[in-house]
Amino acid sequence: MCDTCGCSETDDSQNHHNHHHPKKLINLNVSILSENNRLAAINRKSFEEHNILSLNLVSSPGSGKTTILEKTIEALIPSRKIFVIEGDQQTLLDADRIEKAGAPAIQINTGSGCHLDAKMVGNAMQKLNTESGSILFIENVGNLVCPAMFDLGEFKRVVVISVTEGEDKPLKYPYMFKSSHLCLINKSDLLPYVDFDVEKAISYARSINPGLEFIVLSAKSGEGMQLWFDWLLRQG
Amino acid sequence: MHEFSLALEVVDLAQREAERNQAETILEISIEVGDLSGVESDAFESALELVVKDSVLHKSIIVITRVAGKGKCIACDLEFEMHQRLDTCPQCRSFPSIISGGEEFRVVSIVVE
Repeated sequence: MCDTCGCSETDDSQNHHNHHHPKKLINLNVSILSENNRLAAINRKSFEEHNILSLNLVSSPGSGKTTILEKTIEALIPSRKIFVIEGDQQTLLDADRIEKAGAPAIQINTGSGCHLDAKMVGNAMQKLNTESGSILFIENVGNLVCPAMFDLGEFKRVVVISVTEGEDKPLKYPYMFKSSHLCLINKSDLLPYVDFDVEKAISYARSINPGLEFIVLSAKSGEGMQLWFDWLLRQG
Repeated sequence: MHEFSLALEVVDLAQREAERNQAETILEISIEVGDLSGVESDAFESALELVVKDSVLHKSIIVITRVAGKGKCIACDLEFEMHQRLDTCPQCRSFPSIISGGEEFRVVSIVVE
């Protein structure tokens, strides 16, 4: 009898594992992000079925995503229902700002996590009573690296940079610019005071993603914001 | 540091596959990380070593294979090895190139018992 498991076979090989639990090689060839991608596909289907325009806003910290959202909510409500999922490592501050601006918001605190994933967004959607025809903004954690890999099921991805950053951001963080559909260049009111070269930034980004669209705007002064609202309304 | 989240995805994937195959143990897991996948291979390996404890992978041999980036120049058709997404063609200095390899980030196989 095998001393290891008590079965009737003798363990004459001196190796229990060889005699009746043969090793089995299983070829998978499956993406490590396959589970996230599966959940993202469920989110996407749900957004489509409920006629919700879902946008994933990504940027580095401090580019002005939340201010852009505040001004967008003020301008588009009441003609359009807007809902927001806010992702930050800590605090409810951004969700409070969004609610004050007039849109229902859910804050996801990722703790030590550096990005939102499809599961977090799916769970948040259970709590937000979104309505057909509404816009859902998903404000990702401020980080130009990690959120690039995680599909949330959004219709389009919007990357925000500001003119106080280097115009070489697209070259330094190519994955984010590659995976985005629209690039907002914010804080244009500061252009006279900084060395940011808009044309250069656009050409760098287009070298990575030729189809990327751009809008230069200032959430503070309002310059260019109408172009952004028009873009939103064109999406459906 | 999304490598930590990605390492947790590997553990979950391994757990699902172990259950599906009614395996008690995963003896070995083979993973491919492309140089242009956006994953920092060393950070991912360190994260994986941390998260496999108390998981179905705690006894596994983890084999991580890096896959070199490959590109084809859109100007002169030269195929060349890419180390970064922004590498220019070594022959004619054109940019960008069509990426044809190195974006892999997958579990290739597991050995179960």
